[in-house]
Amino acid sequence: MTGRIFSVVGGMFLLTVCSKGSQSSAAPAAPPAPAAVENAAAGGTITGTIKFTGVAPKNPPIDMSEEAACKAKYKTTPTEENVVAGPANALANVFVYVKAGVPAGQTFTAPTTAVVLDQDGCRYHPHVLGIMVGQPLEILNTDPVLHNIKAIAKANRPFNVSQPSAGMKTTRAFTAPEVMVNLECNVHGWMHAYAGVRPDPFFAVSAANGSFTISGLPPGTYTIEAWHEKFGTQTATVTIAGTESKTQNFTFAAR
Amino acid sequence: MIHALLLLTLVATQDTTAGKQIYTKWCAGCHGDNGAGDGPAAKHMIPPPRDFTGAVYQIRSTPSSQLPTDADLLRSIDEGLFGTAMPGWKSRLSDRQRRDVLAYIKTFSTFFADTTQRPQPIKFGNAPGGGSGAEALKVGRQFYDSIGCRKCHGDLGRGDGPSAPTLKDDAQHPIFAANLHENWRFNGGGTVEDIYRRLRTGLDGTPMPSFGDLIENKFLTDEQLWRVAQYVRSLSPKDAPVVRDVVHAPLTKSLPHAPDDSTWTAVAVYWFPLVGQIIHKARWFSPAVTGVWVKAVHTADSIALRVVWDDRSQSPDTSWLAHVGRVFATLQSDDSTPEQPAPWPDQLIVQFPVSIPTGMERPYFLMGSSGAPVYQWRWSSIARTAPVAGLARGIDRFEPLSSGGPAAQAVYDHGQWRVVFTRALASTDTASQLPFRTGRAIPVAFFASDGSNGEHGSRMAVSTWYFLALDEPVPARVFISPVLAMVLTLGLGMLVVWRAQQKTSYRRQQ
Amino acid sequence: MRTYLRHPFWQAAGLLVLAYLVIAFVIPLLPGSAMVPSSVVLQYMATVLVGILIWVSDEEARWTQFKEPLHEVLVQPRLKMVRNGLLAAVTLVVGCLTYSQVRASVAAPPNLRSIHPAPPPQITFRGKTITLVGLDNPLRRSGDMAAHLAVGRRVYYQNCVPCHGDHLDGQGHFAAGLNPLPANFQDNGTIAQLTESFVFWRVAKGGPGLPREGTPWNSAMPAWEDFLTEDEIWSVVLFLYDQTGWKPRTWEVSAEAAK
Repeated sequence: MTGRIFSVVGGMFLLTVCSKGSQSSAAPAAPPAPAAVENAAAGGTITGTIKFTGVAPKNPPIDMSEEAACKAKYKTTPTEENVVAGPANALANVFVYVKAGVPAGQTFTAPTTAVVLDQDGCRYHPHVLGIMVGQPLEILNTDPVLHNIKAIAKANRPFNVSQPSAGMKTTRAFTAPEVMVNLECNVHGWMHAYAGVRPDPFFAVSAANGSFTISGLPPGTYTIEAWHEKFGTQTATVTIAGTESKTQNFTFAAR
Repeated sequence: MIHALLLLTLVATQDTTAGKQIYTKWCAGCHGDNGAGDGPAAKHMIPPPRDFTGAVYQIRSTPSSQLPTDADLLRSIDEGLFGTAMPGWKSRLSDRQRRDVLAYIKTFSTFFADTTQRPQPIKFGNAPGGGSGAEALKVGRQFYDSIGCRKCHGDLGRGDGPSAPTLKDDAQHPIFAANLHENWRFNGGGTVEDIYRRLRTGLDGTPMPSFGDLIENKFLTDEQLWRVAQYVRSLSPKDAPVVRDVVHAPLTKSLPHAPDDSTWTAVAVYWFPLVGQIIHKARWFSPAVTGVWVKAVHTADSIALRVVWDDRSQSPDTSWLAHVGRVFATLQSDDSTPEQPAPWPDQLIVQFPVSIPTGMERPYFLMGSSGAPVYQWRWSSIARTAPVAGLARGIDRFEPLSSGGPAAQAVYDHGQWRVVFTRALASTDTASQLPFRTGRAIPVAFFASDGSNGEHGSRMAVSTWYFLALDEPVPARVFISPVLAMVLTLGLGMLVVWRAQQKTSYRRQQ
Repeated sequence: MRTYLRHPFWQAAGLLVLAYLVIAFVIPLLPGSAMVPSSVVLQYMATVLVGILIWVSDEEARWTQFKEPLHEVLVQPRLKMVRNGLLAAVTLVVGCLTYSQVRASVAAPPNLRSIHPAPPPQITFRGKTITLVGLDNPLRRSGDMAAHLAVGRRVYYQNCVPCHGDHLDGQGHFAAGLNPLPANFQDNGTIAQLTESFVFWRVAKGGPGLPREGTPWNSAMPAWEDFLTEDEIWSVVLFLYDQTGWKPRTWEVSAEAAK
């Protein structure tokens, strides 16, 4: 069920990105929204919005002239997705997770539903994802070009596999918590994605409007960390009692 | 059971204690006391020494992301990693010492302590029969294209693909896509089996991915992957080139001015390795040009010298600036202020003495000295047909000569420069411009810079003195003496036989 | 087969073949040996041949028996093919040898190089005069040896490894591009035979500081006084001896030897 929480957030994000990128071929439809968040109701919820102050650095344009098949998927010059800003300085692609506070020794079963990482238009969708230890990561290639998917990790074993054609699928899993595992394609130096690997289901990725939701938290005091690839990390302490819903916003300084 | 465990632990401790001593003495200078790849030599080589703490190894028999087997690690220790600063230790340390050091190296990472991660080598199929025929190579070439090898390794395999300038390893160090025409420099070995294994396993920690999943996904058959390996192997010569000291320049009727003139095909080629200029400040520890292939011919009045070398970039090329930045960040410089990357051109220098020496004495090989200058032809990729002749009096003193220099034609073709220099044998200014003469050993040396690797000024690849000989036509006496000797020998032999037979028949008659 | 083994001619032929195999293939396998150059092989084989001839001619009966097959080849009508074949082969070999001798081919001039030329009595190191005669490594008498070795080790790995190699055997990754090859400190013919002051001189002045008989124009050894301090050079000299286990030649021993 925890993967589903991610799916909701991640899926929303995915759809936003797709519409923003004005791609002709849509990314594969996000996994259907979970039918119910039954267990989530059993615990508390932390929601919030992530914003930033200052001026967001411009995302560099990507020269895709070597990859006609990818270039054709864009009407305007595609850019990197280092800082994806929404209206009113909302910040997307922030990985928010419970860094500390989950009782030691408590284990969570990883969902069997895979987190999907799609390579479409020579960019990763999603750009930032959360995944549980042991949960399958399904890496898809929607582009008719060679991609290699390299995971650079310290706590996990790094890997580097190739997908030379459209429709290829590779499934991998991580064995240890790590924030973040870097995913990159060396054929296309601009392609980067980040995976937050957690031992519990208490994480989310901020959507285009900067919002995030972590639910199903048992009562307790938690250290929440928000991670952004360019702006660094922020932490906050949140105490949850019963099934209450708390708001915790984060504000990054653009740099 | 407990006893067995105790024994195992004991053996393991003993190994690593002995291994630590060996490691500290022979390995730590590059790999660092704590195995982090940060020894004192680390910032003087690219690729940098392996960081053992991450347990990420290029040369394995296991799938991508898995640990290497002990046999894999031992092979890298024994044979070294070709084309890098890592030597083979097989002849340098005993079997026991190498096993102990292997055990110690594994203690740098907790991954090896985790017994659930026991590495499983891939079961490799045998090489398909008849795999190196023209048809097989054609298939191999098709898959070379379709699985995207050319993206990094380039259309002709010289490591000049469109993604080549952006490549870096996991630690952000610069890394070159291998030049597939130099299999003797492939880190894990240059046989077709080695190449196939690298394709199956990938080179973890580098941009080279594993292509093993393609077989499991039925995108490619095992045989087709073998064909790719066969094709890659076919790009390199059968044997690694051997240095021969003297370039023989035969006499031809007409002078080939163009690099791809058909005259060149029949002329013998000579290989000269180049190494980093680490003699004068600013030194250069990471040269990109590994060597030059040289051919020469002459006519009655002129000489043509063809120099061919592999270079991944047609410099100046701004797409390589980020690579230059990574190179500068990785290497420790002799300069007090760090250099800024700039789009430098490629350069080649051919060096001769000012006159052909009579004894063995000649000018200092590294661009002469103030007292004994050398005569040089300096070619640059920004003035391809206008090489500059001049006198060098040391690495930082070059005086161009106003006239009488060589002409040049150059071609850049898929990661390779081919440059032909032509000049009259005679020279009007015999004091500074070498007059070429036939039948003499003329000292010659070569220097090359790849601007897109940050090379310029004294940062370049150098050779020592070799020789160029303009061969004279074979005089008739060369054929007369052997014939004479043969006639004499045959006559003498027949005489001996005749005498022996005479004697015998004489005895018989008696 | 047995008759052949007992026959002196075939014994002699067998010995020759065996001697060749040993010289050309077995000797290089011995530890510390290298390929035997062809001119040396020829000399050894000539010596072996003379020895064999002395042995077969030593006894009259054996000599006669030895000559028998040779004589047979010369006269026997049934051996006509062998006879003609031998004649043709010898003639061809002589022709080829003569051709290779008279064919004028330009070769690299001989490189007569003195490996350890005599050092000057004194040198100028960055403006300071250092007398080499009788000079020992000053670091052996002052300071902490472990600290000196640590400096020497750092200096070696940052500067010397590309040519002299990780194993100090002159086989660094740049060595193959150099001629003469970098010195092999593991070999008993280099630092093991030299005083530390000699090694200091070679390091400080490098290739350009060699006398003429040391062919200074070829050596790629830098003049390290441009890069390293006096103490750094003495430290790296200490490191070379410590790492290889050789002991430097001392002035007392050399002086005694001179008596």
